[in-house]
Formats: sequence, C-alpha cells, structure tokens
Amino acid sequence: MKNREQRDLFPGALELMILRTLKRQPLHGYALAQHIKRTSNDLLQIEEGSLYPALQRLLKEELVKAEWGISSTNRRVRIYKLTAKGVKHLEREVSRFETMLDGITRVLAPSAS
Amino acid sequence: MMWLKRLFSRRRLYGDLSEEIREHLEEKIEELVAGGMSRKEAAAAARREFGNVTLVEEDSREVWQWPSIESLIADVRYGLRMLRKSPGFTAAAVLTLALGIGANTAIFSYFNAWIIKPLPYPQADRLMVFVSHETKKGWTRNSVTSTADFVDFQKQNTSFEQTTAWAGWNFNLTGDGPPAVVEGGRVSWNYFETLGAKPMLGRTFIPDEDRAGAEHVAVLSQGLWQSRFASDPRIAGRNITIGGESYTVVGVMPGTFQFPLMGIANLWTPLALTDKERTDRGRSWFSAFGRLKPDVTLEQAGAESAAIFARLESQFPQTNTLLTLLVSSMTDEIGKEEGTTQVMISFAIVGLILLIACANVANLMLARATGRTKEFAVRGALGATRSRLARQLLTESLLLFFVGGVAGMFFGLWGIRWIESQIPGHIRGYLVNYGHVDLDITTLAFTLGITLLCGLVFGLAPAFENSRLDVNRTLKEASGQASGSKRGARLRRIFVAAEIALAVVVLISTTLLVKSFLISVRSSPGYNPANVMVAQLALPKTKYAQEWRLRNFSEDVLARIQALPQVVSFGAASSVPYGGFGQGVEVEAVGKPAPQPGERLGARFTAVSTNYFSAMQIGLVKGRLFNSADEQGNSPSVIINQTFARQFWPDEDPIGQKLQFGERRTVRTIVGVVRDIKMYYLRERPERQMYVPLAQFPSGTLGFVVRTAANSAAMPTAIRDAIWAVDRDQPVSSVEPLEMLMVIQDAGNRVMTKLMVFFGALAMFLGVIGIYGVMAHLVSQRTHEIGIRTALGASPGQVMGMVIGQGMKLALIGVALGVLSALGVTRPLATVLYQVAPNDPLTFIAVPIVFAGVAAVACCIPARRAMRVDPLVALRYE
Repeated sequence: MKNREQRDLFPGALELMILRTLKRQPLHGYALAQHIKRTSNDLLQIEEGSLYPALQRLLKEELVKAEWGISSTNRRVRIYKLTAKGVKHLEREVSRFETMLDGITRVLAPSAS
Repeated sequence: MMWLKRLFSRRRLYGDLSEEIREHLEEKIEELVAGGMSRKEAAAAARREFGNVTLVEEDSREVWQWPSIESLIADVRYGLRMLRKSPGFTAAAVLTLALGIGANTAIFSYFNAWIIKPLPYPQADRLMVFVSHETKKGWTRNSVTSTADFVDFQKQNTSFEQTTAWAGWNFNLTGDGPPAVVEGGRVSWNYFETLGAKPMLGRTFIPDEDRAGAEHVAVLSQGLWQSRFASDPRIAGRNITIGGESYTVVGVMPGTFQFPLMGIANLWTPLALTDKERTDRGRSWFSAFGRLKPDVTLEQAGAESAAIFARLESQFPQTNTLLTLLVSSMTDEIGKEEGTTQVMISFAIVGLILLIACANVANLMLARATGRTKEFAVRGALGATRSRLARQLLTESLLLFFVGGVAGMFFGLWGIRWIESQIPGHIRGYLVNYGHVDLDITTLAFTLGITLLCGLVFGLAPAFENSRLDVNRTLKEASGQASGSKRGARLRRIFVAAEIALAVVVLISTTLLVKSFLISVRSSPGYNPANVMVAQLALPKTKYAQEWRLRNFSEDVLARIQALPQVVSFGAASSVPYGGFGQGVEVEAVGKPAPQPGERLGARFTAVSTNYFSAMQIGLVKGRLFNSADEQGNSPSVIINQTFARQFWPDEDPIGQKLQFGERRTVRTIVGVVRDIKMYYLRERPERQMYVPLAQFPSGTLGFVVRTAANSAAMPTAIRDAIWAVDRDQPVSSVEPLEMLMVIQDAGNRVMTKLMVFFGALAMFLGVIGIYGVMAHLVSQRTHEIGIRTALGASPGQVMGMVIGQGMKLALIGVALGVLSALGVTRPLATVLYQVAPNDPLTFIAVPIVFAGVAAVACCIPARRAMRVDPLVALRYE
C-alpha cells in the first residue's frame, strides 16, 4: 500500500489545490477532480478518490462548506464552496508556499554566483 | 458543543459521503460511455482511476473520528470477539497470566508496605535508632551500651531534637478481672512525643513522672481500655493495680499506635531510672531512639555519637573499651525485623515467574497467529495496512493481558490474605500495621503497569511477526496450512528455551530455600519439645522480696504439678527456650589470665530445678547433672554447655574447673557439661550457656515445663490452677505447648517456605507447559511432513524419536542455561540459607535431572501423536 504522503506531492498540497480551485468557483467533487487533473496537465498522478478524505478534512476545519444541489448535467451533487475562513487560510498558505518555493528555487539554481 | 452535534450527525455525514462517491463514479462512467466505451469497461476504468472505494470511504470517515479512541474501541470489540471464539486459548492464557500477575501483586503489596512506604509516624525519616557496637569483634545490639552511657549521650549530643528510651516489659495486672500478664513497655516520658503519637484520651507522660520515686502513672492501649475497663470514659485518673502497686491511668493510646521494635504493647509506664541505674556503666537493659534536628544528617549524628563515645572510652576504660553507639535509621531497623531480605527474594522470584508466564502466553499467541495467517492475508488484501494489522494484534494481546491482570488482581488479593493468615498474632506486633497489608493505589498501579508493560513487550513479537506476512503467497496456499514464517518458529524456540532457563533458576533457588528450611526444622534443638507444656510468670518484687518466698513459691508449684494426672516429667527454670526472661552474665575462668577491658566474655545464665534437664531431655555430655547435693547452702556448682566448654577449655577437661561470674564475682565449680540447645530460633548459632541450681539462685522469673503422656487439652488449665492454688493473684502469661512456641517463632520461614514450594511448582509447571505447547504445535503443523516420512518408510519409533529429540534439544539448552545462570543468581541467597551452600551440589544436580525428565514426559505426548499420524490422512490434504 502506498501511504498518503506518497500520493500527495507534499503534505497539504492537495488541500491547497482544492482551495485554490474552489476560490475561482464552487464545484462538486467530480468536477473538482477533473479540473485539478486538467489544469495540472495530468502531472499529478492522483487517484480521484484521494480527493474525498481531503475534502472531509477541509469540511471539518470549516475552510469549505458543502450543499446538495443539481449540476449542469442534471445530477444530484454536493457542491463545495470556500468559506471566509477558507479564503484567509488559502492566502496564508499560498504566501507560505511561495516563500518556500522561492527558497527551493534558489538552492536548486544551477549557478549561484 | 460542536463535537456533540458531530457525534449525532455522523450517520448522515457518512450517508452523504457514500452517495457522493457513488455519484462521482456514475458521472465518470457516463462520461466514458459517452466517449465510446462499453458500460462494463467504463465501470472498471472509473474504479481504477478512483482508487480503493472502501479505503477512501474509511479514510474520509476517519477525518471525523477521534481516530485513536474509535479504532481502539473497534479493535477491542473485535479482539473480544476473537478471544470468545477460542475459549481454550483464552482460558489457558488468562490463567497463566493471572497466576504470574497475581503472585507479583501479592508479593509487591508486601514489598510496598514494608519497604517502600514510610513508617506510620510524622516525618518518619528523621527517626533514628541507637545500636551498640563492639568495634573489634564487630557485634551490634539493638540496645544502648549502658544506662549511664545513654544518660551522658542524652546530655551531650546536639544532633537530636529528642532522644528517648524504652524497654519491653511484662506487667502483672490484678483487680478489674482475673490476674493477667499484659505486654507493654517502660518508656521515657517523651517516648510518644518523639514518635509523634497523640493519645486518644487524656495525656501521655510529663518529665516529672519519669523520676524514681515519682507517683506511679500508666498509659493504656485502646484495646486494653476496651477489654478490661469497658471503655470507661473517665479512665484518666482511675487507679489500677500493676505488680501489686497502685498506678494512676493518665491516658489511652489509639489502636493505630504501634511501635514494631517493641512488639505488642498494651500498657506503658515511665522508665523512672533510679540514681543507681543512672550511673551504671556495666549493664544495659533498654533500647533508645531519637528524632534528628531538621538540619542534621544521619552522618553528622553518627560522627557526633562516635566522638562522645570516644570520650567515654578514655574516661571509663574499664567498661567502655571498644564500645560505641551507632546511629541507624529506624526504617532500616524495623525492615530487618520484618524480613526485608525475604520479601526481596520473593519479589525477585515472582518477577522471574511473570517472565515465564509472559513467554508462555507470547508463545500461545504466536501459535494461534499461525492459524490465523489466512485471516490476516485477507484483511491485508482488502486494504488493511501493516501497521493497522499490527495494532489490531497488539490490541488483542493487551486485552488478553488486561483480562489476565484483572484476574491476577483477585488472585493477588487472595494471596495477600493468605500470607496474612499465616502470620501468628504474636508476631504481628513486630510488623508495621500489625502485618495488615491491603491492595492500595500503589499496588494497583503496579499491577496495571506490569500488565500493560508485559502486554506491550510480549504482544509486539506476535504482532510484528504476523503483520509482515506476504499476502500473495499466503492466499495462494491452497490448504490454509500456512506454516508461519521461519522467524516465528525460531522466536518460539527462543522463548521456550529462555522460559525453561528461567524456570530452572527459580526451581533451584526455591529448592535451596526449602531444603534449608527442612534442615532447620529437622535439626535437633538439643531437647525434645514433644508434649511439653510451658507456663511462664514473673513474681512481683514487692510481694516476693525475700529469697525464701521465691524458693517456696517454685517448690510449692512444682509439688502441685507433680500431683497432676498424666504428668511424665517436669521442671522449672529462670528462663526456658522460646520464652522471655533471658539473662546474661560476664564470666571468667579462674586460674587463667584476667581478660583485658573490652575482652570480657558473657554467657547465658539460667537457674534450673534439679529435674529440669531430665524433663527437657537435654543430654549430658560429661560429668553429672544437678541432684540433691546441690541444695541450698551446699557446695556451689555450675553446669555449662558444649560451646562454653569448647571455647574456654579447648584442650582441658572442664569438669572441676572453677568459674567466676556476675557482679558479685561468685566462684563456682563446673560439675557437668550438657548439650547446646536452641533458645530463640531454630537457625541460631550456639552460644555459651551456664546453669546453676534454682535452689541456690531463686528466681523471680520462672518457666515451668511439664511433659505429659499425650497432648492433653485440659493440661493448660490444670497447670494454671496449680499456680493459682499457690498464689491466686499471680498472673500466668500463657500456657502453651513448646512445639507451638517454636512454630510461632519460625512463622516467617514457614510462610516463606510454603510460598517457595508454590513458586517452584508454578515455575516448573509453566516451563513444562511451554515446551509441551511448542512441541504439540510443531507436530500439528508438521502432520503433512510426518505423513510423507511415514509413507517413505520411517518407523513410528523414528518419528517419535525425532519429535522427542527436537523437544529435548530445546529443553536441555534451557536447562543448561538455567543451571549456569543459577550459579550466579543464587549467591545472594546465602544470607537466608541455613546449613545449605548457595551452590549446593545436590540441588544443582537433582533439579536439572528432574526438570529434564519432566520435560521428556511432556515431549512424549505430542511425540506419540506424531507417531500415530496416518500417512493417508495426512497426505489427503495435498
């Protein structure tokens, strides 16, 4: 069995991508999975299923909320929306991620001087 | 209250989740079908991309759970179900653990009560006992060096807040009921105060009452106050009669007050030293202790005491040469009385037994786990992670240990009660809290602690073993006879060998202790205690001031005893074996160079009636016994024991030698030598002893010995009546068979021995069960292989030999390891062994042989089963 860390890019990456995607527009699970897959150019080989535990964690922390609704294809779906708390959390996480990425990029740069 | 809402909305939450996932898959399938796939293909593809649905659902749900607790509850429920499903395994494991944990609980509770817990006095760690010490020969004694020395020490020391003296005393109580001997003590006025004990009624003593000639006062125990004075609320101020004199009761001590060094005490009077006693440097007849000042350490107090006694030594070389007073913690001194060593040894032994029990249970679990490989393989295939499986197994083993621990607690409680019931009432006074020990918080915490610790340590092995199995391979095995991994099998063998080694160590240790007990019990005390009744009494000095009164009393009583029916022989002595009243004198051989100060030798001094030796059947070695020639006024004669003769006249005939003894330097001629006798303990070393005729040395303390034809129940009353016929106010302490007094005195060793027999048997039983279990399991696993061997022509004998050989290899490795470790481990037993060496060859040879023999029998049972394996049946599983 692969563990969660291996499935994820890094701990919390999936949550970050979900929040970012939901900030643009509220989506239901399937659409969310397809969107993340598409926009990341299938770079992230995530199993679609792994989305759900992540969504549950976000629900529990009240960063997103969910409501049953009807999708464009006329099916009963649960649509996820970012909460105010989620927006703030996302901003904080993104800036932290950028700082980290910046650091990593500097270290990985071929010629430092 | 968010968590509460969540708890109740969880069912809906989970429902939402399942529906959502179902919809997700449906949407995907529809999309793929729209893209031109068949519905079947699309469904498979959707699932493939989604991943493990059950696992995703489980993971998602876990988000909402308190993961540790909830999965623990699930594990516990599952574990309980598994334990119920195999009652045989569960019963065996729980019983094994209950015995192991119970034994530990029982012994630990004594360890806790006597070694860990502080004494029941405020700031008990400040209480110090004074111990006389002879620096050249090294002997110590739990009393002060002399009365005058202690008076000086009290005045000069600056280390102690209070110092106080006490002496165990028997009081003759008359009036308010039949005459009675009451045990108690004469104590300094500040005795209770120093201990920090408060009276429940009235007061304790004041300094003015602790002076010679002061008004007589007494303090009662709650027990005496209730039994003899009907709990009279106005007891303070009431007069009672002690030894024929009037005493005013000033207070009552509560029943919880106890001083283990004194033993049972129900009455206290002030020490009230006379001026003569205060300046007496020759003798000591009391003990003392003190309470250290808060900022003084034991070492500082010891150094000060040494300095004071060095001064006394140079001031009074005649009496104080080589003598000093040590300062020792009261906790340690009381611990010695209570048999700290015995408790420690028992504790070590039950620790080993617990290890054996745990190894046994771990083996049972490993064996059972091999039968469950399929179950785990299936669960693994369904997505259970290794850690999840290991956790499940660990929970199961912890559960098993927990159930065993609870059962063990009850077994332990029973053990505590049993040990307590084995302690005779007379001994209890010397034990903290009168030997009453309970399951307290500390003991419960200890039991829970060892239970969980053992459960973790011994549960980890099977948990780890099983969680690492190869799912594919196990599932492929058609028969389900998956033979557990080789590692597992090796682990079980290691466990069994270790278990046997431990069992051999325990068995050798317990055998040594039991053997030493049997030797001590069978050794002759130097007299024949069978059918001998002992009655003891102390005549009051006021009433029996003159020697002729003392002489008349003993002669009258003896005459009346002689007239009793069934009396075979009888006699009297100033002190009898296993009685009180022992006396010692300084002795010197006339015609030999006078001893240097500090080199003086003492001897036990006993005045005996002429018929005493024949009544006790103490053997004569040389010379003659006392006879009518040793009446009052005749030539002064003395009889000594073998040890005395050997030490004083190693190369000469002691008969006819002259002996000088006592303060009055009386000179007497030795007329006989008798055998050494045991005076206080079965295990005591013989000491110098001298006997003088009672007619020439009338004594105020008397022990009457009466040998009857058979044990007669009416005898004690008859003897008491004979005494009361002479003096109806004379209390008699108790009339008891000498054999009983010996048993009471030896009670500690008796309990210890019974425990050792039980522990030894338990260790052996567990060890043998262990090897039987492994071999039986091995045979059942190898049925198939044995079938092939038989089919290929192996004879039943060869098969049996193979199984026994394998089992015995394990057993012998264990036994050898056990014997080797026992050689080192038994060494500390030397202090409690009597006439048995810690490496006693017979024990070290017999125990391994017996153990190996029993192990061989245990291996025979599975071997016979192996022999009967029908190759056809065995091979049909193919």
